[in-house]
Amino acid sequence: MDMQVAKKKLGLKERYAVMTRGLDWTPSYQKMEDIYPYMAYEGIKIHDWDKWEDPFRLTMDAYWKYQSEKERKLYSVLDAYIQSNGHLNVTDARYLNTVKLFVSGISPLEYVAHRGFAHAGRQFPGPGPRVACLMQSLDEIRHAQTQIHAVSNYNKYYNGMHDFHHAHDRVWFLSVPKSFFDDAITAGPFEFMVAIGFSFEYVLTNLLFVPFVSGAAYNGDMGTMTFGFSAQSDEARHMTLGLEVIKFILQQDPANVPIVQRWIDKWTWRGYRVLTLVAMMMDYMLPKRTMSWKEAWEVYFEQNGGALFKDLARYGITIPKCTEHIALEKDHLSHQAWGTFYNYAAATNFHTWMPDADEMEWLSAKYPESYDKYYRPRMEFWREEAAKGNRFYNKTLPMLCQTCQIPLVFTEPGDPTKICYREVDYKEDKYHFCSDHCKKIFEDEPEKYVQAWMPVHQIYQGNCFPEGTDPTVEGFDPLAAVMKYYHLEFGRDNLDFEGSEDQKNFAEWRGQATKNA
Amino acid sequence: MSYELTIEPIGQTIEVEDDQTILDAALRAGIWLPHACCHGLCATCKVIVTDGEVDHGDASSFALMDFERDEGKTLACCARLQSDVTIEAEIDEEPDAESIPVRDFPGTVSRIVTLTPTIKAIFVELDEAIHFQAGQYVNVHIPSLGISRAFSLANVPSTGREIELNIRIVPGGTGTTYLHEQLKAGDRITISGPYGRFFVRKSAATGSIFMAGGSGLSSPRSMILDLLEEGSTLPITLVYGQRTRDELYYHDEFVALAEKHPNFTYVPALSNEPDSSDWDGFRGYVHDAAKAHFDNDFRDHKAYLCGPPVMIDACITTLMQGRLFENDIYTEKFFSAADAQQVRSPLFKRV
Repeated sequence: MDMQVAKKKLGLKERYAVMTRGLDWTPSYQKMEDIYPYMAYEGIKIHDWDKWEDPFRLTMDAYWKYQSEKERKLYSVLDAYIQSNGHLNVTDARYLNTVKLFVSGISPLEYVAHRGFAHAGRQFPGPGPRVACLMQSLDEIRHAQTQIHAVSNYNKYYNGMHDFHHAHDRVWFLSVPKSFFDDAITAGPFEFMVAIGFSFEYVLTNLLFVPFVSGAAYNGDMGTMTFGFSAQSDEARHMTLGLEVIKFILQQDPANVPIVQRWIDKWTWRGYRVLTLVAMMMDYMLPKRTMSWKEAWEVYFEQNGGALFKDLARYGITIPKCTEHIALEKDHLSHQAWGTFYNYAAATNFHTWMPDADEMEWLSAKYPESYDKYYRPRMEFWREEAAKGNRFYNKTLPMLCQTCQIPLVFTEPGDPTKICYREVDYKEDKYHFCSDHCKKIFEDEPEKYVQAWMPVHQIYQGNCFPEGTDPTVEGFDPLAAVMKYYHLEFGRDNLDFEGSEDQKNFAEWRGQATKNA
Repeated sequence: MSYELTIEPIGQTIEVEDDQTILDAALRAGIWLPHACCHGLCATCKVIVTDGEVDHGDASSFALMDFERDEGKTLACCARLQSDVTIEAEIDEEPDAESIPVRDFPGTVSRIVTLTPTIKAIFVELDEAIHFQAGQYVNVHIPSLGISRAFSLANVPSTGREIELNIRIVPGGTGTTYLHEQLKAGDRITISGPYGRFFVRKSAATGSIFMAGGSGLSSPRSMILDLLEEGSTLPITLVYGQRTRDELYYHDEFVALAEKHPNFTYVPALSNEPDSSDWDGFRGYVHDAAKAHFDNDFRDHKAYLCGPPVMIDACITTLMQGRLFENDIYTEKFFSAADAQQVRSPLFKRV
């Protein structure tokens, strides 16, 4: 007689494993290396894909259900915000420039991240990472869409955002975030996962996400703030994926350790250079500040990242050398960056301005070692000149770093009075760098970086004028032609905040909303 | 007022205070639940409530949807119990774990043996035998002081009614001073247990490495004796360290066991033995002794670590650099209120 044995109920983890594993198959008439052609060339050795532990257990079915309700919630908040003319409740019209920076600098990256994860997911032979990459790929395109929708309301009223994606691919300073992500998606799938999945999503994401979202909250931008909350559960998933990736690669083979170390060194520095934009946003662009860039770096990198690198030391991974340089630069970064944007405000899609007396007090309190000594005098000078009608716009194009594409405006580590220049001769040409770290990245892969699309070089070569432009005609104005090529209107989308259309309109509309004029 | 929380699939029941969240209670009880932000926004700690009522607390409406609330989901980091509750969480099932209910066991101190100048073996004849897994610990109640202290069981589960506790005197420590200086044979004493999830993963069927230092020998000793008693033929290695030879208690027992059982290897290490002594074993720390013995290659083992925190930390690093990772490393950890406050590892779940 058969005995009925009561089957033990499966746990959540086991149930997920049963549901999701064995969905792939072993090819019979195609070679594995033909199906997954990018698995070997980076030098990463994976012996057992089954050792991959799913960092989260989510089926596609649950994913759709969950995300659709989240988006319904987000859009109902956005609708309410739009209905009530929420844009007039932001602290000050200067805040809008943060939104412009975000939608032209960051949102397009979400879209590239979508492509990157779709590509990486396609390349991994293991079903676990493949599914995780697929979901993150979908998250990223949803984030791009929801961000664009959240910001589109501002575009109805304010300047500089009307063709953000066109700008992203062309405007000189937007080549900094663009080239960062292009560098990542043109790397191999393992490097992409370390670059974006780990270094960016885990190590640096708090420095990007928290300042923008808490900046939005502090400055009355309910739409962007709600987007932030809706994205947070996705971000947590991305962070756990980044950690699982790094653990998995490091545990699979000791030969992977030095490769991963080089990638972590490279991508920590690359990511940090992109965060320059966040640093100046935090210290100069938010009318109501959340915390200083220096404080954010100390909390999110030095403390939290310190704990992470202490753990990674168990695998033989050390904290990137560049963090010593970053520590020396944290008193200077945002001031040097804002000074540069103030100079080049004739060629941007947002406005700049000099901090007022109260804001300068805040800056000297947050940066007692550096602000009064190095930066306040020049900012006061610029402010006085502007008051006299001599608002300075620099029309000479700067030298760019071949790796990060930021103009060479940063100073020597430890000497804020001397600009840092590095150069390398490669084949017939000379290449310039902002730092030893960018130089090293170039030297490791020169053939990749010599192909960089350098905005300044492209302008000088005549590639950044509208089609049919004749630069040889009498009285040709190159800057005006470049702005046309960017789809930006001179005098409306660029220049100082003081006297801008945004400033005028906001004041008038807010006046209508709050007074009986 | 407190409620009981049962955590499936491991079937463990723990006590949860009124203002305590599910996550906090679980972590303090040594049960790792997935979590990240700890304030209701990221949804990493989502669990299913299969029985009882919870208050969802500050869980974000984006992280815990209305339909999920209806389905009985909650976020462990925000949820507080409104009744006795059973949850189902994403926990690795341990095929080797026995779920043994905790009980009080009164007994009589049968004998006290001085093992080293600082460690005493206290033997207690329980009124009724305790069933436990080798490696688990008990709480010893000291009614006159109104306190209890946790000690690993140093004997094998098959011993019967008499249990053995090896207790090191902590200078200035109220509990251990009492147990060393006041307690005597014939005294009545009550223990409760068994506690802890430190036990041998027998189903893995791989070689075991035990690393013990200070007064951390109890669990490994019980585990090794249990394995040998069962007739295990898999390789078993004990790397056992003390400062000096006179602190190296049960040394002779392990030497004898190694002679008797070809699959058992004993690697003693002394970190502070005078150069002039006749000690011919390893001189240095446990992790260095292990690294030398295994030639820095620990792959295909399970490692069980018991000892002071600095020793555990050094051993984990050594094991990982010798390519044995988190999933194969087990440590005995006692969570206290102070531990719960400290920064948790972002990378590792258990070690």
